[in-house]
Amino acid sequence: MSDRAPGLTVNGRRRGLDAVPDEERLLDTVRQRFGLTGTKEGCRTGDCGACTVLVDGRTTLSCLTLTREIEGSTVLTIEGVAADRVGRSVQAAFEREGALQCGYCTPGFVVALTGLLKEPSTTDDDQTLLDGLAGNLCRCTGYASIRRAVATAREGRP
Amino acid sequence: MIRSDARTKLTGEAVYGTDLYEESALFGALVPAPVPRGRILEIGLETARRMPGVVVAVGPNELAHLLPKGGGDAERPVFPASRISYRHQPLAAIAAETLAQARAAARSVVVRVKAEPAVGEIDEIFPEWPGSRAKSSPHVVAHVHARGGDLAGAIADADLVHAETYRTNGVSQVAIEPHACLARVENGLWHVRTSTQSPFGTREDTADLLGVPPSRVVVEGTWVGGGFGGKAASFLEPYALVLAAAAGRPVKLSLSYREEFLLGRSTLPSTVRIETAVKGGTITGRRVRLLLDSGASLPGRDFATGYAIGFLLGPYRVGAFEMEGYAVRTNKPPFGPHRAPLAPQCAFVADSHMDSLARRLGVDPVDFRLRHAWREGDRTSLGQKVGPFGLVEALTRARALRDRWRAESPADRGFGVGCGFWSTITGAGGEARLIAASDGVTIVQGEREIGSGSVIGGLVDVAARTLGLPVEAIRVRYESTATAPFDSGVFGSRTVGALGQAVQKGALALLKTLAERTGAPGTVRLRWTNGELAVEGGATATPLARLFTADERRGGGITTGGRHFGRGGAIDESLVIDGSFHGYNDFTATVALTEVRVDRETGQVTPVRVAAFLDVGVALNRPLVDAQVEGGVAMGLGAALTEEGLWGPEGKLANPSLLDYRIPTLAEVPPIHVDAVEGFAGAGPFGAKGVGEPPIIPLPASVANAVADATGARVAEMPLTAERVARALKLL
Repeated sequence: MSDRAPGLTVNGRRRGLDAVPDEERLLDTVRQRFGLTGTKEGCRTGDCGACTVLVDGRTTLSCLTLTREIEGSTVLTIEGVAADRVGRSVQAAFEREGALQCGYCTPGFVVALTGLLKEPSTTDDDQTLLDGLAGNLCRCTGYASIRRAVATAREGRP
Repeated sequence: MIRSDARTKLTGEAVYGTDLYEESALFGALVPAPVPRGRILEIGLETARRMPGVVVAVGPNELAHLLPKGGGDAERPVFPASRISYRHQPLAAIAAETLAQARAAARSVVVRVKAEPAVGEIDEIFPEWPGSRAKSSPHVVAHVHARGGDLAGAIADADLVHAETYRTNGVSQVAIEPHACLARVENGLWHVRTSTQSPFGTREDTADLLGVPPSRVVVEGTWVGGGFGGKAASFLEPYALVLAAAAGRPVKLSLSYREEFLLGRSTLPSTVRIETAVKGGTITGRRVRLLLDSGASLPGRDFATGYAIGFLLGPYRVGAFEMEGYAVRTNKPPFGPHRAPLAPQCAFVADSHMDSLARRLGVDPVDFRLRHAWREGDRTSLGQKVGPFGLVEALTRARALRDRWRAESPADRGFGVGCGFWSTITGAGGEARLIAASDGVTIVQGEREIGSGSVIGGLVDVAARTLGLPVEAIRVRYESTATAPFDSGVFGSRTVGALGQAVQKGALALLKTLAERTGAPGTVRLRWTNGELAVEGGATATPLARLFTADERRGGGITTGGRHFGRGGAIDESLVIDGSFHGYNDFTATVALTEVRVDRETGQVTPVRVAAFLDVGVALNRPLVDAQVEGGVAMGLGAALTEEGLWGPEGKLANPSLLDYRIPTLAEVPPIHVDAVEGFAGAGPFGAKGVGEPPIIPLPASVANAVADATGARVAEMPLTAERVARALKLL
């Protein structure tokens, strides 16, 4: 028997998982069950990064994560980012640099960068952050404005 | 603030096609053809109908009951009744309570076919150039042929005749958002919410396919998670609508990413023979022969061949010419548009050839291009007069920067320039509606901002400039095709150039109306202070609301409109022997300079930095212009280096995933320098030219030319994968 609390904490709110079958992906749970469609569905094979969420603070591909597997964890999705100081600074940096176009990969980038900036050990230079984002695909920007936003977010980190 | 859509997209609030869920909606799945070519013997849906959660299964037989007069376009049935023309062609569809149930049921459908030999590659039909007589071949979808001047004489008289063969491979759009829509059929209205670049184009096409009047089809756009041509026409909407009609419930239909590749309307391979005669350092004649794989595209519906082939002559004066091309039908999926359709692959050929010719002649490749570059007033080979065109300026700047980069870089680096041109499609029309209320001006729009910024930036900038207002005073409201003014759609880099003209006319009409009401002579000035619009007249300012009629007060403001229904450019038809060619609208020059490093053991090419020189006419919004160029360059690098559909025998795609079809990642795109060349006005408002598509065009050529510069080896096939470069370097 696990002594972990059942369910998930998603963006600070407790969510029960009673109806969730074992094979359901976290991506589908947050989007379809919880209505949090800000987490985007791209490839569903772990190649594009659009579905990135934070699970207990770690950047996680929700399309390759079974919901039951992380029961008891804390999940942050794009909808919860604005409630986080670091997350707000990341959003502000993307807004200031215009670091988005179609916006479909944007939640994944914002969540991933928020996670990276909250990890004290990996936030010292832009290259570490950029390496951490290399698994997020963007087809619109050529990453140029995203690079600028990463630098702005690092400098403006609370 | 660079983008007014930033907030909604940064918070996860923006709803895309994939995000459309409804409590009562079913999920759809398509039944794919198991073979690339053959006769359908049976599509057995009974097992599928008994599967858990399945509500309806629709095949060709069911269409007769669902659609008026048994269906729409006989040549393009929603589901084919008898013949399969490409692998994974949708043959039937299922709607079920969950997506997993729908997909499981789709797999259970019994599809019995009599397979027939399929055509995978053009080479299987035309192993060599077939000559002009092949136009009657059943495999030929289109044939184009034109010539001018004495080419035989030019070749006989030449100092040098340089002939090469190039090959290009298929490139996919790879929008990160897969296609998705939600359909419902109620009260005789066929309603679909969808992620599309063109709501009205989708309405027209869907109505045509279903055989219902366009007035009964309503298309409502969502935010679009990347289009790049892949969402420019109807695709899933007809399937979703027939499922919704059969089920009597809303149906959501979306593609898996694997299906994106398997069914996606990508560009397809081509083979080009190009031959140029030179005398005294000047080009005196050129012949191009194009074989374009058009997949399962329909005869008589080819727009591509006559359009593409002009790009093979390049933006150059080439003297006498002959160009001939075939679109050849194979059993691949139908061809589709991709950012600047066909121009990057044709510029790869034309400008690799120019570079290789210059090297053979021992002259600077940029000087050689400058010697032949179109200038305003020149005529294209098909006799069209070239308008304001910034190529000479762009090339001159590129040459200066190339020389500077060469001087400061290690000796083993290669530097390549690529050139191309584009024609903003200002011929396709649109209408604008502007509503001036007390708190600002609203532009009512059918198509959504797709990310390029052409709506939230371009159209807004045009209205703001024309009205003399800050951009904060202008808003965009998106409506469905039931109520929005008509527009052709976001394609061909036309939004600002064409629809922008309609917006400008609507804004001018508003100023005129206000001048009449205030009794001011000539034009009036608008002012926006503390979020309120006022009309200035002398020392006083009249709040806008005071100029409303009673009905306008109730209706929400003063409505004005504008329309721009353009025309395509005209060519000299006497030069055409067969097929249809297309004139251009705005002439837009696009030049790229790329620095590369080539690994001499593996053939791996690493782009070090790129500079793009784009003939923008007037940059209405510089940050958004830069963003289009940066994105186009990165996409062009993908097409140059890694992106290709690997088609195996019989039209089978070997790499239908993002793992195996490699687009550039953040770790691979080098610094991009953007240089906007202004001063060569386009037809758009304030002289703006389209900027969405042109930046991608010269990239593959610039990379190939940089590799040739670094190694002396000419790679005549794109993309320049490590393997192809290694072969050219004789490492393999």
